[in-house]
Amino acid sequence: MTLLALNNIEVVYDSVFLAVKGVSIEVPEGGLVALLGANGAGKSTILKSISGLLKPERGAVSHGQITFEGTDILALDPPERVRRGLVHVLEGRRVFEHLTPEENLLAATSMHGDRSEVAGLVEQMFQLFPRLAERNKSKAGYLSGGEQQMLAIGRALMTKPKLILLDEPSLGLAPFLVDEIFDTIRRINAEQNTAVLLVEQNAVAALDVAQSAYLIEQGRIVMSGTADVLKSNPDIQQAYLGGGSGVDYHAVKHYRRRKRWLA
Amino acid sequence: MFYRRAGIRHTRYQDERQIWPLPFDRRLALLIFLLAIFAPLLIDRLYLVSYLLPWVIWSTAALGLNFLMGGAGQIHLGYGAVIAIGAYASVHMVRAGLPFELAMIGGGLLSAAVGMIFGATALRVKGLYLAMATLAMQYIVDFVIIQFPAISGGTQATLQVPRVSFLGVEVTGDLAPYYVALLICLLVTLFMLNLRRSSFGRALAAVREKDYAAAVIGVNTFRYKLLAFWVSSFIGGVVGSVLAVCYYRAISPDQFHLDLSIQLVAMVIVGGLGSVLGSFFGAALILFAPILLNQFFGFAASELGMTISTDLRSHVPLMLYGAMIVGFLLWEPLGLAKIYANLRNYFLVWPFRHARQ
Repeated sequence: MTLLALNNIEVVYDSVFLAVKGVSIEVPEGGLVALLGANGAGKSTILKSISGLLKPERGAVSHGQITFEGTDILALDPPERVRRGLVHVLEGRRVFEHLTPEENLLAATSMHGDRSEVAGLVEQMFQLFPRLAERNKSKAGYLSGGEQQMLAIGRALMTKPKLILLDEPSLGLAPFLVDEIFDTIRRINAEQNTAVLLVEQNAVAALDVAQSAYLIEQGRIVMSGTADVLKSNPDIQQAYLGGGSGVDYHAVKHYRRRKRWLA
Repeated sequence: MFYRRAGIRHTRYQDERQIWPLPFDRRLALLIFLLAIFAPLLIDRLYLVSYLLPWVIWSTAALGLNFLMGGAGQIHLGYGAVIAIGAYASVHMVRAGLPFELAMIGGGLLSAAVGMIFGATALRVKGLYLAMATLAMQYIVDFVIIQFPAISGGTQATLQVPRVSFLGVEVTGDLAPYYVALLICLLVTLFMLNLRRSSFGRALAAVREKDYAAAVIGVNTFRYKLLAFWVSSFIGGVVGSVLAVCYYRAISPDQFHLDLSIQLVAMVIVGGLGSVLGSFFGAALILFAPILLNQFFGFAASELGMTISTDLRSHVPLMLYGAMIVGFLLWEPLGLAKIYANLRNYFLVWPFRHARQ
């Protein structure tokens, strides 16, 4: 079953600057899909168009449909989309710095009426991220980068989402922490059956956890398929996975293969 | 369409760094300049003195405030006081026998000195707290001007401006004051247009965007914040002297109260923060909208035979004027200048709908 479907969307900033064009993406229920691409390819723009955060940046979806569980959500405002079960973890974490981790988590529960349910959710988050429970005395601003990322993901999970949009969870984290975060993402996906749409620069890590992936360049999808297919693609290996080990560089042609897609 | 960009190829860097790289913009600016020069021939004297002259002067004031608010990102709720200092100082200097040119600069320097002292609070506080500090400046300056008869001549007194000459031309009648105001406006406009191309303007922009990020790349925020207040207050002081000599001709303390400061802030925000063009648009809207609305209601009452009570007639234009400001800001939070820029962008890429950045 398709949970989220983007159909041929086009995003324009400030009425004139075209950022994304003709992008169609599908996320199945309980799926883990990755969006890969270089800086400025339009990955974050696509996530913002799904969660409805384009407006503050003077952007708008000028074409196409975004359907979530079969209904068009383009007209809905961001909080309403969260109530439908779609949550966005922003790039660069954005935790509420002056609140403690627990208060941060509680801030995301305005849609839950039942207090005991909220308490259970907080407990669940502290089990998922034991580090947050340990640091619960200090303000979130004093947490380390990795802890803040855990808090941001936990905060998003407090809304009991069906789909979680993750924007570069590995940003600025040590490789060891990246593994831990990705482990958690895989667990969330498997245990709670929450679908994940993952935007990531770290293509190796992303393709390891994802079931399928889309490759975006200059606002367009240039390749898509299951993670295994993409991983074995020579273009991806050369451009994103740092592959080509054992390549005889005298034989390598002096142009890059990936340029051909755009020709 | 009008702003055709396709086919225009700059082959030298300095061509691209011009104030107006597109020929259409250059011609438009020239046309407006010529219209301003020949305005006395084109429009009635009454309109020149009661509409165009105040527009030119208040636009200059809005530019000075926009330098501080849009350029350096420091809010100022006491700009009316800055103008008052310039006005009073220059009038006293003129009365003491100094030539108007020197009195104008003297008024600017005194405004700059006082403005910088209050601006120094900006080194410690930001945002709302700075708004409070500058508001305090407004009240303190108001108080000092009213309470010291040596400055104002007393609570109710007005200070007459003696006959002066500017660069050998006597500033009397309708034409000379207009051209003096236009010259000052032109100088300030040129300064503002060139600001963003200079290292000074870029340093201010860095301070505006994030002052600690500016500090960490070697911009001395202490120096540039003070300089921003100094320059902005200097412009305010010069505008004050132009206002006193060319427009009011007699000044009294109640011309420079808080409502003037608020109006100036409104001009800057409605026009567009940081936009040169926006200062002119904003000044025009704030000045002319109440007049036009008033005239419209007068016309409706007398010609169309609508019965409007006097109470309503005096209040409805004000309400509509407020609604207009709110409406413009809802439609385009970045001000009238951004509405113009959107239109321009539309024609820049026409017949296509958008371009890749």
